Amino acid sequence: MQTIALLVKKPWFLGSLVVIFVSVILWNIPIEKRKYGLSQSGLVTDYTGLLPERIERVVKAENRSDLQRIVKRANVNGQQIAIAGLQHSQGGHTYYKNGVVLDMRTFNRILEIDEQQKTVRVEAGATWEDVQEAIQPVGLALKVTQSQSIFTIGGSLSVNAHGRDIRFGSMAETVKAMTIITPEGDIKTVTREDPDEWMKYIFGGYGLFGVIVDVTVEVTENHLYTIQTEKLKIGSYASYFDQLLNDQHMAMHYARVSVAPNSFLDEMYVINYKQTEKRDYTTALKKEQSVRLTKLALDIGRHGGALENLFWGTQKRYIASIDGKEITRNNAMRSESTFMEYTKPGRVEVLQEFFIPVHRFEAYMNELKNIIPANDKNDDFKIHNITIRYAAADRFTTLNYAKEDMFGLVVLMQHGLKEEQITEATSVIQNWTHLTLDHGGTYYLPYYRYQTKEQFRRSYPQWEKFAEEKLRRDPNNVFQNMFYDYYVK
Amino acid sequence: MNHKSTRYLPLVVTVGQVVIFPYYIIWLKEVSLTFTLFAWFFATFSFAAAWGYQIAQSRTNKDHSYIMFIYAGMGIVYILIGAIKNSSDILPYAVILLQVILGLLQGYFRAWHAEQDTYHLHAVHHYLIVGCAMIGFSFVKIISPVVFITIFGILMCMCAVWELFRKEKKKTIIPGK
Ligand SMILES: Cc1cc2nc3c(=O)[nH]c(=O)nc-3n(C[C@H](O)[C@H](O)[C@H](O)COP(=O)(O)OP(=O)(O)OC[C@H]3O[C@@H](n4cnc5c(N)ncnc54)[C@H](O)[C@@H]3O)c2cc1C
Repeated sequence: MQTIALLVKKPWFLGSLVVIFVSVILWNIPIEKRKYGLSQSGLVTDYTGLLPERIERVVKAENRSDLQRIVKRANVNGQQIAIAGLQHSQGGHTYYKNGVVLDMRTFNRILEIDEQQKTVRVEAGATWEDVQEAIQPVGLALKVTQSQSIFTIGGSLSVNAHGRDIRFGSMAETVKAMTIITPEGDIKTVTREDPDEWMKYIFGGYGLFGVIVDVTVEVTENHLYTIQTEKLKIGSYASYFDQLLNDQHMAMHYARVSVAPNSFLDEMYVINYKQTEKRDYTTALKKEQSVRLTKLALDIGRHGGALENLFWGTQKRYIASIDGKEITRNNAMRSESTFMEYTKPGRVEVLQEFFIPVHRFEAYMNELKNIIPANDKNDDFKIHNITIRYAAADRFTTLNYAKEDMFGLVVLMQHGLKEEQITEATSVIQNWTHLTLDHGGTYYLPYYRYQTKEQFRRSYPQWEKFAEEKLRRDPNNVFQNMFYDYYVK
Repeated sequence: MNHKSTRYLPLVVTVGQVVIFPYYIIWLKEVSLTFTLFAWFFATFSFAAAWGYQIAQSRTNKDHSYIMFIYAGMGIVYILIGAIKNSSDILPYAVILLQVILGLLQGYFRAWHAEQDTYHLHAVHHYLIVGCAMIGFSFVKIISPVVFITIFGILMCMCAVWELFRKEKKKTIIPGK
């Protein structure tokens, strides 16, 4: 006690106390500060907040008959419904002016796990994380997901998402059956063999063809993989990937391309997940790790120029350091996302994804150098990150982004919100899309619509069929959203 | 004149700090993302004040003080609070730094004030003045606490300038001291 009384008289002791306390607080300040979505008073936004809109109200259904009643009533009252999962889409896909937003997050139960058949029946408002938590203890893992597990099943299937898996094709292909509520309010259970072809339109249908209530998805063994990383030159990637695809031991893969001035679109790192044939039942699902450090590194890179070189150097060191480590399939499918948080007033950070046929990759990347500058330090429009995934050809959905085997370039970019800054960003992205289309590629639709209607039509030549079916199946235009309004209507 | 300002400046500062406190709390609550963080920000202030108090107490030359800089420091911090954008990404990090500085300055000021002859007289006066001031402020519609905080910051800076003049004058009247 006496020692404490003595210590309290020493300024150095009190100073150290302050420093320690402040460090603890700094470490615990939450990173996620963004407020978006349905809770915003009066106006609704999605993740980027780019398209605020007034809606009539948000409804949450208690059960299926409640859902059915909402849809039937909308048919009678001439109301419009937009469906929302976790609203990570970035172009007003989950709401509509003066419309009703159907918040699907209450439908989040895991209904059945069939270990023999390796299937899971799950409600559409559940997230992949919910599914992982349910199947990990029985040694099962998902077949196809995004790189993160933060999205709802309904939201993911409605954009027909893709990720790091290179063996199981598109996400749509992993669904065996599902329960939907059609635009007229009927509850239907549909399979791939369904003569009415509901799946063809609901997958990648952006919530315009009905409500996905639950789905039965195929799962696979939760194997242990060895991580293999390698540095490559952009020019050798396509042939490298070809070999990788032929090696049946490789289960998952993605790559990072340098956007740092010193090695701009020249250097890249590949990250492969190789089978060990060991099945895992015990490894816990990983939580978000080193978020602060990763955010700090990204924040440094966000300044561009020499700091972007530094950021790329750090990424390279990190990627090299994980070479040879082991990871479960489930954990490889749940990357961190919180570190991407960016809430600077007057600026926005968005994603875009361009798909390019595997065989056109090298030529495309060379030409891309003419569209985006190597050093964007002094530009308003900045690119922070490009990752590459493989998207296998999908001949099932109508708005299919992968007409043949494609590489998807996921681009994290940032720009200001003044009119001229948005115009400049739009112009760069439209040029980029133009180049992509010229190489036989497409662009991904869950993100903000910088592209023109013309570019949409070129990317998705089946759009007319999509529009036609929409009118046939939803004659009262019950399901609406801002995405549909802009591109298809 | 000199005598008066030595007497009244610390009183102005003490009263001002208590009066501004409710507005400061409203601001702090607004910028803290959670209640936990709000409480931690407060704890930081307290620890830093204890530190500042001890720094002032352990000065060897009690005649010498940095009180002018303390006033200026407080003034600048309050003006900064008025200028900072609420939606800024780095806000919580800036707030913690401001809390440390403010705590340090406040602790130092308290210790220095307690050494002054007028301290006990001020204690009674300040309670009375604060009471009256708060009744007065209850009739003023608050648009934003930040406006009052900024005004108080400017007032503190004026106190610092005043103190500077007082010191300079003292030096010329009693050279060498
Ligand atoms: C940080 C980040 C990383 C991403 N990474 C990837 C990636 O690796 N791969 C990839 O493919 N995509 C990726 N995406 C895009 C993401 O997959 C889509 O935005 C996805 O739709 C998000 O799911 P959600 O639950 O937030 O859906 P929401 O944004 O809520 O909804 C998306 C669409 O689905 C519809 N919908 C939602 N629920 C239902 C339902 N129950 N029935 C019918 N329609 C419904 C909505 O109407 C809307 O049109 C990423 C997005 C972000 C922000």
